[in-house]
Amino acid sequence: MFKKKKALSIALAATLAVSLTACTSSNSTSSDSTSAATAGGKIDTSEFQTISYVMLGDKPKNGQFEKVMEKLNALLKQKANAKLEIKWVEWADWQTKYNLLLASGEPVDLITVATDWLDTWQNAQKGAFMPLDKLLPTYAPITWKEVPPENWAETKYKNQIMLIPEDHYTQWVNHGFQYRGDWAKEFGITAPITDWKMMEKYLQGVKDKKPGVVPWDTNGTSSDHVGGYINSYTDAIELPINTGMFALIYGKSYADKYKAYSPFLDDTFVNFAKMMKDWGDKGFWREDVMNYKGDNRAELEAGKTSVDQHHTQTFLGERIKMDKLQPGSDLQFFPFSATKNNLVSMSITHGGTSVGAKSKHPERALMVYDLIRQDPEIYHLMNYGIEGVQYVVKDGKRFRPDGYDVQRDDFYSDFWGGRIDKNEIPNGEDWAGKGALFASYDKIKKAYPYGRFVFDKSNVTNELTAITQVVGQKGPAIVHGKAGDPVKAVEDFRASLKAAGFDKVMAEVQKQLDEFKKMVESTK
Amino acid sequence: MARQRGTDFSSVAIRLFGYCFIGFFALCCLIPFLLVLGTSFTSEKSITLHGYNLWPREFSAFAYKIVFENPGVIVGSYGVTLGITIAGTILGLFIVAMTGYSLQRPDFPYRNRISFFIYFTTLFQGGVVPFYLIMTQWLHLKDNYLAVLLPGLMSPFLIIMMKSFVTSIPHAITESAKMDGAGDFRIFTRLILPMTTPALATIGLFIALGYWNEWYNAMLFLSPDLKYRPLQLFLYNVVTSADFIKNSSVASNVQPRDMPLESMKMATAVVATGPVILFYPMVQKYFIKGITVGAVKG
Repeated sequence: MFKKKKALSIALAATLAVSLTACTSSNSTSSDSTSAATAGGKIDTSEFQTISYVMLGDKPKNGQFEKVMEKLNALLKQKANAKLEIKWVEWADWQTKYNLLLASGEPVDLITVATDWLDTWQNAQKGAFMPLDKLLPTYAPITWKEVPPENWAETKYKNQIMLIPEDHYTQWVNHGFQYRGDWAKEFGITAPITDWKMMEKYLQGVKDKKPGVVPWDTNGTSSDHVGGYINSYTDAIELPINTGMFALIYGKSYADKYKAYSPFLDDTFVNFAKMMKDWGDKGFWREDVMNYKGDNRAELEAGKTSVDQHHTQTFLGERIKMDKLQPGSDLQFFPFSATKNNLVSMSITHGGTSVGAKSKHPERALMVYDLIRQDPEIYHLMNYGIEGVQYVVKDGKRFRPDGYDVQRDDFYSDFWGGRIDKNEIPNGEDWAGKGALFASYDKIKKAYPYGRFVFDKSNVTNELTAITQVVGQKGPAIVHGKAGDPVKAVEDFRASLKAAGFDKVMAEVQKQLDEFKKMVESTK
Repeated sequence: MARQRGTDFSSVAIRLFGYCFIGFFALCCLIPFLLVLGTSFTSEKSITLHGYNLWPREFSAFAYKIVFENPGVIVGSYGVTLGITIAGTILGLFIVAMTGYSLQRPDFPYRNRISFFIYFTTLFQGGVVPFYLIMTQWLHLKDNYLAVLLPGLMSPFLIIMMKSFVTSIPHAITESAKMDGAGDFRIFTRLILPMTTPALATIGLFIALGYWNEWYNAMLFLSPDLKYRPLQLFLYNVVTSADFIKNSSVASNVQPRDMPLESMKMATAVVATGPVILFYPMVQKYFIKGITVGAVKG
């Protein structure tokens, strides 16, 4: 038992030592290896190396993955004398495992990272990643030139590049309402829905003319539509600060992005609460919505409800599904951004790839990464599988081959750290309206401004906990119109927030936004 | 001739009331399980529309089909769990019993301090990161079944339980055996162990249940590269990945497959608890005995 305690204390000391030395050692290795490898100006790849790449997801079990990897590794051997080995972090408790993997200092070469959901900045702070500034121009030249300086600026911690961003890939996860186009037409709504008043008209139509259908069968756990309403009726941009069930703190607007603002303290939230009370009273959702736990999307597919709230990517999948399950339903999408054209792109660091601080061959790892991202043949293998087995190409579009069986032939590699539009083969099964929808987004999109903003909550931890509790207790009833008189309910909500220390939190956010502004302007 | 006991009105009434009460209580325990069983055989669509039910409205074994998609893996997982449970229980029981016995021997110096150290670990722990580092960097037990076996061998709670039980055996027995020339180990195996069977059964059951339900250490230290991993981890993976893929906006890239989610969870629960339910009645009598003896004498 004495031993155990001693071992623990040694381990603790070791952890500290590791975290302290990680930063320093990584710098030295990267510069040493550069000089060694580029002797004579030519990259030396005489030694065969195995490059590990950490992916998030469940290890594929049907044998297809191994077949694809065999082909891919044959190409990699030819082009970089290396082989790729995927290490999976499974979805079961992925957060714990992912962060432990980085904390443990196990030598990994390439790692999938994301600043918004994989704690990349926190891990960079602990020295988990190797700075890439010196290595990129030599070993990943195409990617180095392709990513513009302002995007590299978004990937820096203490002025060193920590990750390669997935900045040339279009995907949209902005939220909105999916609704049935066939029913909207029936109620005389011929133009696409672009605001909440039109939405109300549609829901009322369903209520009046579709007996047995709950217009919007939402449940008490969902509250994304508060953010949706704010997105529709203000120019505010949500800040990455967690306040529980929904975010309370925003940036004022794109032009005024360094000003902390809360739409919950002005008329925006009052109007929203009034509208939701009205919708609830009209019976747009169940009376017992607060205790109801049903699956909104499954109900939509079963024809039992007419609206589901989620993001663009989901809608595109759901549109295809609904065409099969509810033929003629003509599912449409009202993105919340449509009302005031308030739309920011996804953060370019929502996906990315880093090199582990303890990687034994960072140079070759980057060469392999450059090939996966830039070489069309390797790219297609990595993302789609083998042509003829997982896909066939007709008129430049991807289709499933005849006799394709999902269980038997399914392939995925979960490569989300460097997909690129120029190497994508469009999916032939996509909804025909996808291009027009994306074009409408492209017209109004603005770059995500808060990719490098990490809120340090140490000064306001207790206040944030209290605020999170207030949101969890009083929020759901207001957003579903079940809190009695809406004006009174909002006043009460604000009083509780004030008591929980909301003013102090806002002041802290403002302070950190000012610092953030200085940082951004210094790296421009 | 004396009237037979228990036929007059009042004792019949008490008995009737007792049976009803206990029967009701047993039902309260049974119904949720039946609900799980019923739901596991219901089609996902019917669950969406009507909720859980004791009797499937729309019979479907699709959830079991998914869980048993790959019977080899399930059988293998059962094998791993059984192996770890049996090995861990025998070894753990032996170590816990020895520790508990030694700690209460009056001729063992510093026994109270050492007991306190054992107790102390229940109050303060190093946390996950040091634990992970010791297991992976020092002991190199990643992807090794020992990583699941070792942490469960000694539980402070069970050691203290054993210790308090052995206290009820007079020290005189140990001393007289010593007079007759028996060594410490012989005293322990020949005298102490046979006298502590109820406690051993109880502690053994606790350890066995612990190993049977163990998934957290397995999740930390056994990677998907291993072919077979403990059953609970396998089932946990089945449910969480289905859940995650369905609900996550994080993984906006994941292609959701059509998963019968609710019914699948229930089927998973049935597969996991089935064998334990069969195993429990066999050790139940020891279990009750052990706990009560410990309570009276402890």
